[in-house]
Amino acid sequence: MHTPSFVQPLAVLADHQPVRLMSPRFSIPLLALVLLTACGGGPEETTNQPTTDDLVIGGEEASVASLYQMPTPNELFGLVKQMAGEGHKRMLNPASNVDRYVTLKGRAVNFGVYATDLVYASSFKLNVEVARYYLTTKKLADALGINSAFTDADFVRLESNLTRGDSLEVISNDAYQRAYEKMQSEKMGPVLTMVLAGGWLESMHLVIRQIEAFGKNEQLMVRVGEQKVTLEHLISMMESFKDDPNVSGIYTELLVLRDIYDQLNVTRSAHQGASASGRMVLGDDVSVEMTDAKYAELMQAVDRLRTEWTKPEDQNE
Amino acid sequence: MNSAMTRMTEQLLATALLVLALVPASLAQSECPEYHKFNCDRASDSRFSVNGQSRSAAVKVGEETELNIIVYRSQDYRISVCHDEKILGEALAIRLVEKVRVPKEGGDPSKKEFVEVEKVLWDNTEHDMLQEIEFSCTATKRIAVEVNAPGAAERKGRHADEDIGCVGILIEHMPTPGLGF
Repeated sequence: MHTPSFVQPLAVLADHQPVRLMSPRFSIPLLALVLLTACGGGPEETTNQPTTDDLVIGGEEASVASLYQMPTPNELFGLVKQMAGEGHKRMLNPASNVDRYVTLKGRAVNFGVYATDLVYASSFKLNVEVARYYLTTKKLADALGINSAFTDADFVRLESNLTRGDSLEVISNDAYQRAYEKMQSEKMGPVLTMVLAGGWLESMHLVIRQIEAFGKNEQLMVRVGEQKVTLEHLISMMESFKDDPNVSGIYTELLVLRDIYDQLNVTRSAHQGASASGRMVLGDDVSVEMTDAKYAELMQAVDRLRTEWTKPEDQNE
Repeated sequence: MNSAMTRMTEQLLATALLVLALVPASLAQSECPEYHKFNCDRASDSRFSVNGQSRSAAVKVGEETELNIIVYRSQDYRISVCHDEKILGEALAIRLVEKVRVPKEGGDPSKKEFVEVEKVLWDNTEHDMLQEIEFSCTATKRIAVEVNAPGAAERKGRHADEDIGCVGILIEHMPTPGLGF
């Protein structure tokens, strides 16, 4: 199939202030107003003001409303699993630290870390860890007010499926997805971006540790290189909240990682022919050249950041 | 006393009728978050699984909305779009646009500067307004699924609020399968 291609600058989009363009619940304040009037109450002032707590960029003057989604970690681990053998529980953030995250930032980031550990454990069938990390993640979900994503019924279901790895993966992933959707529907934009930042970093940490444990595999190195794209996506998603006091430090630290990725050579070439499945190939083939030196630099930066973000907060000075 | 009661009953009745009249619209809106789950058709190929990046949103006629997602190397995807035709019109204009971070041309070479550019990879206006696409991905990419609703033909006398309808974007994926024996 012919794939037309042209290039447009994105500068116009970048200048927009983050506001809600359209609320799916716009009619609820109206209904509330009608009911209040019917009950004899005065017409309270209802506002439909834009809020920065939604992951929508654009505005009345904007021509585009932008919504962002991140892939769930199981997509990446599913790919890594095919190339790198078994998982190891020592790579996970110790579950015993969970009660030691006390700030909103610490809890949100480590919710992302633990949720990713949960998905990793279920992807690699570390069954005892699945149960442990489900309960650990649930604790932080309770603290963040998104406990409905991790139900007791699901835990019972999970326990009864401990010997069936595929079911565990589905249950864990569903819980992750529900938490994500809950944060979106509750307009918890800054919290969601911190959770996703924690999840992205933990995914990087786990893939890098997998490489360290099983040796450098070209395909795995390619995956690490391609995380450049997911990092750019995450940073773009965080733009709207970068002035939030909890988010700003995380945003700046991710920019440092992006700077390392920016130094890699990226080659694009038109794909020749159809894909192995016979479907059209979307866009160019892209190769990100990950040298040993840049890999080492990236690994150090990820390790440093992960140590900092997962450090129990009662150890802070 | 009786006439006051009657007036109050009439007032309540009128209010109830007004609320009932508003309910369908409010339901339609509150259903938007899960619109794709119940309105978009699944792929006929059962190897496709639903991707967690699927999303629904309220879209206004004539205003572009984009869903930014990640597609991974070595995966096949199916993206299908479903929408409220009575409000948004028969077919939506859909584009798949790649967002690429590239070094800025003519920038200061000592401080490597970058800009983001868009590359249109697929445009359904060149493909009979197809509302779904299947493709293979040979590299991990940032993709924006852009949708723009033309609006229904019969829009005379409608309020601005009635130009907003639900759009669902269902994303499905599977590892790229090989052909042959």
